[in-house]
Amino acid sequence: MASTACFVIVSRNDIPIYEAEVGSVLKKEEAAHLHQFILHAALDIVQDLAWTTSAMFLKSVDRFNDLVVSVYVTAGHTRLMLLHDSRNEDGIKSFFQDVHELYLKILLNPLYLPGSRITSSHFDTKVRALARKYL
Amino acid sequence: MDPLKTYLGRLVLEELTPVVMVLTTPLVEDSCRKNGLGFVDMLLPFSVFKKFDVPVRTVNDQPYRLQMFKLRMVYASDVRQPNYEAAKEHLKQVVHDSGEKALSDLLSDPPQLETVLSNSESDLCPQWIQTFNKELIRTLSFSEHETFDHPVACLLVVSSKDEQPINKFVDIFNTNQLPSLLNDGLMDPKILKHYVLLHDNQDSSPEKATHILAEMRNTFGPNDCKLLCINSATEDVNNKGFSSVPYKTHGFLGEDIARCLNLEDLKSIKDFMQDLNSNHIIPFMEQKIRILNQQVATTRKGFRNQIKNLWWRKGKDDLPEDPSGSTYTFSSIETQIRILGDYAFILQDYELALSNYRLLSTDYKLDKAWKRYAGVQEMSGLCYFMLDQSRKEAEYCMENAFSTYLRVGSSGQRYASRCGLWWAEMLKARAQYREASGVYFRISIEEPSLHAAVMLEQAAGCYLLSKPPLLRKYGFHLILAGNRYYISDQIKHAIRAYRNALFVYSENAWSYINDHVHFNVGRWYGFLGMFDVAINHMLEVLACGHQSLATQSTFLNDFFHFVQRLGKSFDVCKLQLPVINLFSLKIVYEDHRTYASTADVDVTESLWQALEEEMVPVSTVRANWLDSQPKSSSRKDDDFSICVAGEAVKVEVELKNPLQISISVSSISLICELSASSEASTIDRSVSSAEVQEDTNLMKTSFCSDQKGENSSFTLSKIDVELGGGETKRVQLEVTPKVEGVLKLVGLRWTLSDSVVGYQHFETDAKKKHKKGKRSKHSWKSSLNLIVIKGIPKLEGRVDGFPTKTFAGDLRLLMLSLRNHSEYSLKNIRMKVSHPRFLIPANSADIHEDFPQCLEKQRQMENKDASGNAKNLSRSAFFSFPNDVTIRGGETFSWPLWFHSGSSGNISLYMSIYYEMEGGSSDMTYRTLRMNYNLEVLPSLDISFLISPWPSRLQEYFVRMDVVNRTISETFLLHQLSCVGNQLVISALPSCNSICSMQEIFAGQTLSCFFKLKVLMTGEKNEESVQGSDMLLSSAISNDMLLDVSRSPLSDFHYQERYHQGKLVKGYQSLLDFIMISKMVSSNLDSEEGPNQLLLSNHACHCSISRTSPIWWLMDGPRTIYHEFSSSFCEIDLQLTIHNCSNSLVSIRVATFDSMLETTQSSDAVHLSDNSNDQGGWYDVSLTNDIKLISNVQGSRSQKRLSESTPPFVWSALSSTQLAMEPASTAKLPLKIFVFSPGTYNLSNYELHWKIQPQGEGITDEVKNKSSSGLGQGHPFYLTVLQAP
Repeated sequence: MASTACFVIVSRNDIPIYEAEVGSVLKKEEAAHLHQFILHAALDIVQDLAWTTSAMFLKSVDRFNDLVVSVYVTAGHTRLMLLHDSRNEDGIKSFFQDVHELYLKILLNPLYLPGSRITSSHFDTKVRALARKYL
Repeated sequence: MDPLKTYLGRLVLEELTPVVMVLTTPLVEDSCRKNGLGFVDMLLPFSVFKKFDVPVRTVNDQPYRLQMFKLRMVYASDVRQPNYEAAKEHLKQVVHDSGEKALSDLLSDPPQLETVLSNSESDLCPQWIQTFNKELIRTLSFSEHETFDHPVACLLVVSSKDEQPINKFVDIFNTNQLPSLLNDGLMDPKILKHYVLLHDNQDSSPEKATHILAEMRNTFGPNDCKLLCINSATEDVNNKGFSSVPYKTHGFLGEDIARCLNLEDLKSIKDFMQDLNSNHIIPFMEQKIRILNQQVATTRKGFRNQIKNLWWRKGKDDLPEDPSGSTYTFSSIETQIRILGDYAFILQDYELALSNYRLLSTDYKLDKAWKRYAGVQEMSGLCYFMLDQSRKEAEYCMENAFSTYLRVGSSGQRYASRCGLWWAEMLKARAQYREASGVYFRISIEEPSLHAAVMLEQAAGCYLLSKPPLLRKYGFHLILAGNRYYISDQIKHAIRAYRNALFVYSENAWSYINDHVHFNVGRWYGFLGMFDVAINHMLEVLACGHQSLATQSTFLNDFFHFVQRLGKSFDVCKLQLPVINLFSLKIVYEDHRTYASTADVDVTESLWQALEEEMVPVSTVRANWLDSQPKSSSRKDDDFSICVAGEAVKVEVELKNPLQISISVSSISLICELSASSEASTIDRSVSSAEVQEDTNLMKTSFCSDQKGENSSFTLSKIDVELGGGETKRVQLEVTPKVEGVLKLVGLRWTLSDSVVGYQHFETDAKKKHKKGKRSKHSWKSSLNLIVIKGIPKLEGRVDGFPTKTFAGDLRLLMLSLRNHSEYSLKNIRMKVSHPRFLIPANSADIHEDFPQCLEKQRQMENKDASGNAKNLSRSAFFSFPNDVTIRGGETFSWPLWFHSGSSGNISLYMSIYYEMEGGSSDMTYRTLRMNYNLEVLPSLDISFLISPWPSRLQEYFVRMDVVNRTISETFLLHQLSCVGNQLVISALPSCNSICSMQEIFAGQTLSCFFKLKVLMTGEKNEESVQGSDMLLSSAISNDMLLDVSRSPLSDFHYQERYHQGKLVKGYQSLLDFIMISKMVSSNLDSEEGPNQLLLSNHACHCSISRTSPIWWLMDGPRTIYHEFSSSFCEIDLQLTIHNCSNSLVSIRVATFDSMLETTQSSDAVHLSDNSNDQGGWYDVSLTNDIKLISNVQGSRSQKRLSESTPPFVWSALSSTQLAMEPASTAKLPLKIFVFSPGTYNLSNYELHWKIQPQGEGITDEVKNKSSSGLGQGHPFYLTVLQAP
């Protein structure tokens, strides 16, 4: 399990619709905005990279000091972004694929408006379980 | 691209230039100081040679021309590595100065996306940043591992006033005073020397100077000596302006700059410099290059030398490495190569320089002299750039140099920064902005915070310049820069950086980012004392529900601190605290419909309308049947809601506190506008057009309406609320218009923590809703604009003592009180109640009577009153008060109401009271007062009755009453059981007195009582009248009287119960009704109830008589007979009375037989018991089962016995008789037996076969429930015949 990991789902409108600190280290107050800053800045890189490859998993696209941003872009251009300090690329890929599946299930909910915040607690627990499993 | 035209090219030409070391005597400085300058400063403007155009020939035969050249004049004392701390201070000063200039910008609006994108490079990288970069590079000059800072020449200056000037020249070039570079042997001390005699014209005539010059020429050689005359200007003021011009461009500002210099002097200085440069320095360098090149060629060039070099170097590997690399003196071949390269570089022969650097880099690499290696790499990178050759090589060299410097450790760190700056500039020159920003970022990691801040800001600028612009990266790096600026105490720069980034984060979706940026900008503005701007930023972060408690309180505290410091009242549109939920906005106004309490408004309008349907006059006449919607009296009413002058319009809205900290919100009030009635019509039309301009005027109107508040045509209520953490509260605000006109609800205002006034407009949201559909917008619009009319005074009403929680069957007298506050009197009052089962109006006489004594039976009362009430049953739902009832102004009118909770559950009772005004003119004809009461009725006593025929008596029944106390803790006292119906008499069983005396029933207790019910056959049945027989159960208390169930209200409620329970019970109609009256002994329910006992009346209606067959029969005859058997056999007459209880035609066959068939009996017995099982409630277990068992056992035994012998008696007459019976008729059938011997006989061996004739509709129910035919076994009848004596 990575000591620091921040997972964010960003909608196609660049708005975060799901945020979770999934690292084993307790979340520090200071880190919250730093993580957001790094992930937000990484969107610029993703924007370029996403159109150069047909793969959904873009591997690590950006880094800030020892924190690495790995991104997975869905077909609807929703971006699953993980800020992490571990180097377990296979685990991250599996994590993204499973979260993508969960996200699709959310999308299938007729009451969920695409692009709106994901408030499902079930989704949250599942994502955290996946993070424990893979990261 | 020409490298010389790029910024880096210019920078290289300016910075990497020959250094001229200057040695002066104090008198020289004195002379110069008259002009406010040092000697070096005086020469500075003339050390740059633009449009120089001098031919230079280095190693190649082909000369080339230098276009631009510069000399760096440095005092010998400065030829050393600058003190690091001093350099830092210097850089800080540079940053600080620029910050002061930027102050004015901070007050303007933050830049927007468009303006930032249109900015050119120079805007993003302002002059001061370039200055900073230059200064940063300069702090690293005179390093030990590089030679381009080594002085090329030495300028020895002696004043003509000096004693023995020749000796002075020798003295000042004393090795003790020379810089360490020369002394340590890092540099060749044999450098070009140039001797200058400075003559001050103010002191003496130039003759002495020329004399000394001649002497100098003799001593030092003719070419290397110069005379420089200065301060020739007299006190004439004219020259002053011109002579100081060159100095001003170099940053020397002041009144006395170049005061004593005239144009002659300046020209002579210029000529001196020109001569020094072109005649001495450049030729010297050319010559040195050639010599060095020759040396290098002989020692290092060629295959043989290379092999030798490699061999020799290998041997050196074993030696311990010296990190400072001081093993290389000026005479070592490596240093000589380096000097050769640097000189070539300075003379812009980059190819020569590059070849030497390459040669050198391998050497240093082998020697592991990493710092020197990096320096060489750095220079070769620059060479590649200046040659505009292989870009890849250039970048590789730079990266190599950068990382090598970093590898060296702390000593190389700052060189890495310099190298990085070159590198970044190089990338920028080639428009590789993204890579450049990466380099800047790498520099920032190693530098102290202030330097890092500047680097990060440059990195941000590069991200913006890259194509396409990386805005988020730009923002992020600006924030990082701002943070570093703040750490290094440059608040103005910090604000500037954050402000520039604001537009990137304007979308607000990334909550933590948003909070961080706005909070910090706000805080820093606060530090600078610009509280208004600070507060504007702080407002953005107030609703920070996602932050931790500590952060929230920090935000709030800082915000209120700034507000306090600002010291004036502060109005904020759309203040985020508390959050106003505009969707929860509800406007309650009363037109002709008025409500007793606010909760009543929530009831659906259709429910009220259905209730009031009969009561309210139809105001409009429909023109024809096509007009389904009745036209209202005025068109206005459709668009606007109506309210009445003098009555409050209530607005309910939800306030939410998103924080975990509690906040106090005070003086919440509405913002309203009321235009007088004369304008009403115009406003009506202009509302839609005014809509557009409203936004702009909104601020103004809200203020003026607020000022009007004191004396204007409406009054506003103010509410103070304390909102706890995360709490949501609904507040009700009121506005009371005083005059007629149009009232417009504009918005809401409140004061947060007594310091900040916030307001929110309703209108803005209405516009948002516009998208969703026209209808919703319309409704909003209409509800926000209210027409104020003059109306009928409002009646206030309430029902006193209405319980919220009670038990089923609770009977009580309530008081409806209506209060008229106005001076007008009201008439024509009517009332309608939704549930007459629960509430009926009483007689006005009831008001004076005590409850429950009024219910008690009064013998003298005649029955006509009761029957009169009973007929008028419809009045309970709709009730007109007597015509003479008027409510005069200021009076309170009371009317009693009977309340009876019929069934358990949650019940909403609706009452509507209609009234008109007596006389007087008004815009209304009538008003209604609507009241709604919710009550919870708990189950109390469940009563069930089972009535079964008395087996041996006609028209008498067993009544078994089961009472279950369903409450948890209450005890009831059974008071009275009444049986409704004229011809019924209920009485206790003679043998069961003990059961009846148990009149108390505790919680959860079940009680069964048995009664006898007798039907009186006299008189015909009258269903309507509620008359019956009563039985007092509580015999112990003698003073309790029976209650009269035949009078109102019990009879009325009974009728209702009968109606409601009748809906449930289908099938047997017109059966028995019972009323059980009980009292509650102790009540925990309502404390206000006090000692009064609750009176409960439970009604059980439509109790059916349980039967197994539709017929009922009884054998009648003598029981004991004395007969003389000797004379003849005995002949006995018997009578069988048969009654048809069903309501259909039944045909009956009576069959007698002398010997019984076993099969028939047993099957019938089973059938009987089955039937009784089907009956709900209870059934006569003892009787039926006993019979069955006994008869089964005994019967079979007796059968055997009987079949063997002849029966002791025989039936005479026919063995079967057929007869048909009308519904509810009785027939008597004579029977006869012959007895042959004395004994006791059971005359039960007869059967009644009955069959229901299908007739009319009566049978359908019958057939459903029961079999249409059946068999009745004879009842046992014992006859004793004795021998007559």
